[in-house]
Amino acid sequence: MPDQPHVLRILWTRFAWRHWRLAPVSSWLLLLILALGVAAFFSIRLANEAAVAGFANFTDLITSESDGLITAPVGPLPTAVLKDLRQLLGNTPVNLVPVLETSAVPPRRAETEGIGARPTYQILGLDLPALVNLSSPAYGGGLPATASAEASPSAPNQPGGGLRTNAVYISAALARRDQLTNGSRLSLVINDRLAALEVAGLIPNRPNQPAAPAGLLIMDLPDLQRLTDKVGRLDRIEFVLEPGALRAERWAAIKQTLEGANLPAAPRWVVSSSAERREAGVTMTRAFRLNLTILSLLALLVGLYLVFQGLNGAVVRRRNEIAILRSLGVTARQIQQAWLVEAAVIGLVGGLLGLALGWLGAQLAVQTVGRTMHALYFGRNVDSAPFDFQEALIALIVAVAASTVAGWRPARLAANTPPAQIASRTGTASDPGGRWLQRMDLGLGLLGLGLLLTFLPPLRMEGGARLPLASYATALCWIFGAGVFAGQILAGFARFFQWLKWDSVPLGLACSHLRKPSGRHRLAAAGLVCAVGMTAGMAILVGSFDTTMRGWIARTFQADVYLSSDGDQTASSINRIAPATWESIAKDPSVKQANVIQGRELILNGVSTLLVGHDPRFFRDYSKPAWVSAPQDDTVFDAARNDHLVLASESFSERFHVAQGEVVQVPVPGGFQPVTIAGIYADYGNERGAMLLERGQFAKWFGTEMAASVILALQPGSDPEALRAKLRAAHPGLGVFTSGFLRGEALRIFRQTFAVTYALELIGILVAVVGLAFTMTSLLWERRNDLATLRALGLRRRELSWAAALEGGLLAVAGLSAGLLVSLALGWLLIFRINKQTFGWTLQTDHPWGQLIILALLVLASATLAGWFAGRWSTRLPAEREE
Amino acid sequence: MNPMHIFKQWLGFGSLLWLAGQGLPAAAQLPSQTADGYALPQPGRHFAFPRDHGSHPEFAIEWWYVTGHLVATNRSTYGFQATFFRRALLPPTSTNRSASDDFGNDQIYLAHMALVDKTSGEFRFQERINRAGWDAAAATNTLDVRNGNWTYRLLPAAVGSAGRETFALQATIGDAVAFTLDFTPQKPLVVFGTNGVSRKAQDPTAASHYLTYTRLAATGDLTLNDNHLAVTGEAWMDHEFSSSQVGTDQVGWDWLSLQLFDGREIMAYRMRRADGTTDPFSTLAWVDRQSAVRQVGPRQFKWTVLEHWHSRKTGTDYPAKMQLEAFNPASGNWETFVVEPLVPDQELAGKIGGVGYWEGACRVRDAAQHEIGRAYMELTGYGQSLKGKF
Repeated sequence: MPDQPHVLRILWTRFAWRHWRLAPVSSWLLLLILALGVAAFFSIRLANEAAVAGFANFTDLITSESDGLITAPVGPLPTAVLKDLRQLLGNTPVNLVPVLETSAVPPRRAETEGIGARPTYQILGLDLPALVNLSSPAYGGGLPATASAEASPSAPNQPGGGLRTNAVYISAALARRDQLTNGSRLSLVINDRLAALEVAGLIPNRPNQPAAPAGLLIMDLPDLQRLTDKVGRLDRIEFVLEPGALRAERWAAIKQTLEGANLPAAPRWVVSSSAERREAGVTMTRAFRLNLTILSLLALLVGLYLVFQGLNGAVVRRRNEIAILRSLGVTARQIQQAWLVEAAVIGLVGGLLGLALGWLGAQLAVQTVGRTMHALYFGRNVDSAPFDFQEALIALIVAVAASTVAGWRPARLAANTPPAQIASRTGTASDPGGRWLQRMDLGLGLLGLGLLLTFLPPLRMEGGARLPLASYATALCWIFGAGVFAGQILAGFARFFQWLKWDSVPLGLACSHLRKPSGRHRLAAAGLVCAVGMTAGMAILVGSFDTTMRGWIARTFQADVYLSSDGDQTASSINRIAPATWESIAKDPSVKQANVIQGRELILNGVSTLLVGHDPRFFRDYSKPAWVSAPQDDTVFDAARNDHLVLASESFSERFHVAQGEVVQVPVPGGFQPVTIAGIYADYGNERGAMLLERGQFAKWFGTEMAASVILALQPGSDPEALRAKLRAAHPGLGVFTSGFLRGEALRIFRQTFAVTYALELIGILVAVVGLAFTMTSLLWERRNDLATLRALGLRRRELSWAAALEGGLLAVAGLSAGLLVSLALGWLLIFRINKQTFGWTLQTDHPWGQLIILALLVLASATLAGWFAGRWSTRLPAEREE
Repeated sequence: MNPMHIFKQWLGFGSLLWLAGQGLPAAAQLPSQTADGYALPQPGRHFAFPRDHGSHPEFAIEWWYVTGHLVATNRSTYGFQATFFRRALLPPTSTNRSASDDFGNDQIYLAHMALVDKTSGEFRFQERINRAGWDAAAATNTLDVRNGNWTYRLLPAAVGSAGRETFALQATIGDAVAFTLDFTPQKPLVVFGTNGVSRKAQDPTAASHYLTYTRLAATGDLTLNDNHLAVTGEAWMDHEFSSSQVGTDQVGWDWLSLQLFDGREIMAYRMRRADGTTDPFSTLAWVDRQSAVRQVGPRQFKWTVLEHWHSRKTGTDYPAKMQLEAFNPASGNWETFVVEPLVPDQELAGKIGGVGYWEGACRVRDAAQHEIGRAYMELTGYGQSLKGKF
């Protein structure tokens, strides 16, 4: 024989490639399915990368990458800190960049406009004249001279002199999108007021940096302080050191100095380096990303199942050829290698196709994943997910490696084809997974192992996130276990129909094949179990979530009118209502009672959560909380006696491992305050958890009266709609909602978030049916001589097609039975383990039977149809044909 | 005079003119304030220190400028420049002031730092701008001006050496250079101009108070690429405040400060017109060993360019080496000085101003080519005319 590479090349060009060309549809289908799996994996990772990158810093786009930053331990930093820092750092060459951020939205165009329908802008307040100091090329750009001259209002351009006010700098993307030029007016809702801003210029792009997104606006810092009622306050101070060899060393020294200047009892600031911030961003979303990656890997797994099926079918179809090659002296090892190469090529081509699809998908995913992540964690928007070569390489390696693994067994089966088979053409076809799928002990073992794993706690990660790893393993065990049982169910069904003795040739034929199901049958049934189980399980979770949310929304929104800044569109918006505004509203004659809500993000044990100031009595009377642990008496609801008492959400209790009666040390400006948890209530508003404190105490501790929202209960007989209209007219910067509207919106937003699951369900069905079609095609190819004999015996093509359709249908019934059973278990697992362990939410179980029936019917119909088409195709096969 | 052009580049002012000793209008002719309410220099002003070392926010423009020549313990030699500028954005009467003292809108501060290593020829510079507030300010009761981590202060008396004034400069340039220098005047303060007012141009409102220490002893530390060096040397310090500038027919100026080894100093500049001629408001001032000042007009000194230097960075040609011939009223003789840059490339081609200029350390020779002193020279308006820009 010629040398090995030469043989492999001949095997590839003369055999594998020829077969691929002869069956283009199935070849492309196989590639496409694998590509879908890779695309899911790649797109989710890309979208996630983009979202985490967005976390890095908007200021990086404008100035230069900062070396580190400080924030207040809680709340804003006073600007007085700046002078102290400069004094503390002496002659150290470091630029201090104070930053204030806020969100803003355009005023609503129609009163009925839904929440979240308007674009949210992030306004970055920076000390504009000082920005030019970072324009040196040594910093990697910053503002170019022309732009900095514009951005640094050195020349008096205000009537009467002074720096320009209400001037805003916008991105080129926004200028293009909204056709804005210098001097254009931009009306935005900031806090509870409408601000009329004037476009003063474009945000310049730094070389080798992504362009500023359309949602980013920049203003002079004191101007933004004034507009947001935050004069004298900053969100953070970034440190940009002079570029050079000593930069890292200098930052380490600065960090040490800053940390050394902090008093342990009353820390003034929290110091973090940029690397730590990035790491924190990554940590904060690690569990979220892992969840998504696991889901995307499941998609890839299903794709690989199809690669396995596809290659196995190909082995069957090319058995004669392999036997001839073996007779000609090609070794088993060479045959195996050729098949592995083919599997790797499928992985490579499918992977490349997947990268393209994945990149497109990422642009869509970034809208959903990015938005979710930012609403939950960051409060920033990401517009696009740039192509990441490293991620692409990882996806490609995963695709090729996984495809090669999937092709391993078919390759071995091909290599084991004896030369003698060319003469006999009898004996069993390659029988994938035949033996292990018949082992009931394995099935039982997997189900039992899965059950045991449910008792394991979640993996606790940095940043307070929890990853229900054991529960994911349970899901896998149960799916594989149920897959084993599906084969048994299949044989049972076949025997049952045979026992019925219906006078039907197609049914008889179908049952004869299924009574002793081949490994291929069992594998197809197992594939269906996997797809149906996951799809139906997800439907049960979403259904339960939906029911729980509806109940919660109905209970929670029982007051009449809800007020927030009209700029408040997402959980991460930071617009507030000024005390003068909410005080005047609370005095309206139609208002019976007002609950003024204040809120502040807290870092407890390095984990982010919320502290909310409210009226506990109003909360009890109008939100009707569902108690996980009800307060033992009324003390917490009495403003005169509820000093240092809080109500904690279930998520908070789960996240921080605290129970009723326990004390939590809350960081407040200047130190800590102990609070005792008086009760724990169920809440689906956020997964970070929250503690509710009497508002008077909150205002005292944090020194602010700015409200996040205000909830109004009206006097009997008052019309909420009339008050809403009146308040909107008086305060155009306020969002005023009636409870009915808010309930509808809350549900709409929730359902929008889960819309993607319906797409996943469809993909699940598609994959299951395509897998079944592959199986049927392979089975019928194997039986092509039998089919020819049956036709010779007088069976009509129609009857043979129906026999295949019934075979497919029965396979589907077996897969569906086991799949739906396992979905009930998976639903339980998702609700009571995975969801509870990840978010800390208790859901009320609700099975969407209608959806499950539709799913079952769809799978059944598609499987039968796929079988019928495969049967029709098989009746046209000659006894000898290549494809 | 010297730093003004830089300030102007940034802040939008007309050119400066120094008036020669003759021809000052009578004191009564000088208005007390500009049309928009800024103060104008008045003849006979009594300067009180340390208050008058500090800032004068009633004037629109002010700067503190120090240049010098240093020798390290390892014999390496350096030249340095440190300039702190202040420019008012709002007249004193304005009510449109920022609500935040930390982010003021009434003043803006610019600063330049430069260091030239005379041995290696390496020239480094950095510029910085900040609004009045947390990161830039100038005290009004003494000299205490800062911009970012750069500070220039008059030390409290107890800290200064032997009861004399001591000024302390603390600055960095990029990542690699840091210097902490103390300056002690070796000669009394001089006030240029007539009766305390230094006229700049034909317009009588264009005038300044111009205070100079022509020779200060410098001591301190220089850190260069993490190497710490003790340094000593001599410095020159200007402090000037004014409110108005003119010079619409001028394209730039050349300026010199000479410190001669015999204990005398010379300050000279020539305002250049578009046709290349010298403006009549150009001047030269002799400062003798006892600090007596004698000023002469442009007809009594001659500025001859000997060599040019071409900047590859900006493409500008500068008249780097020059010969100054000046009439000395004290001796009644003409004297010749050849001013030669120690390092050709001392161009500040920074991005902030958008207009480059050359300012650098020089050696001074006499007609017989003997080295007789050190100088700092400033050359502006060569890359592009300043006319009509400010």
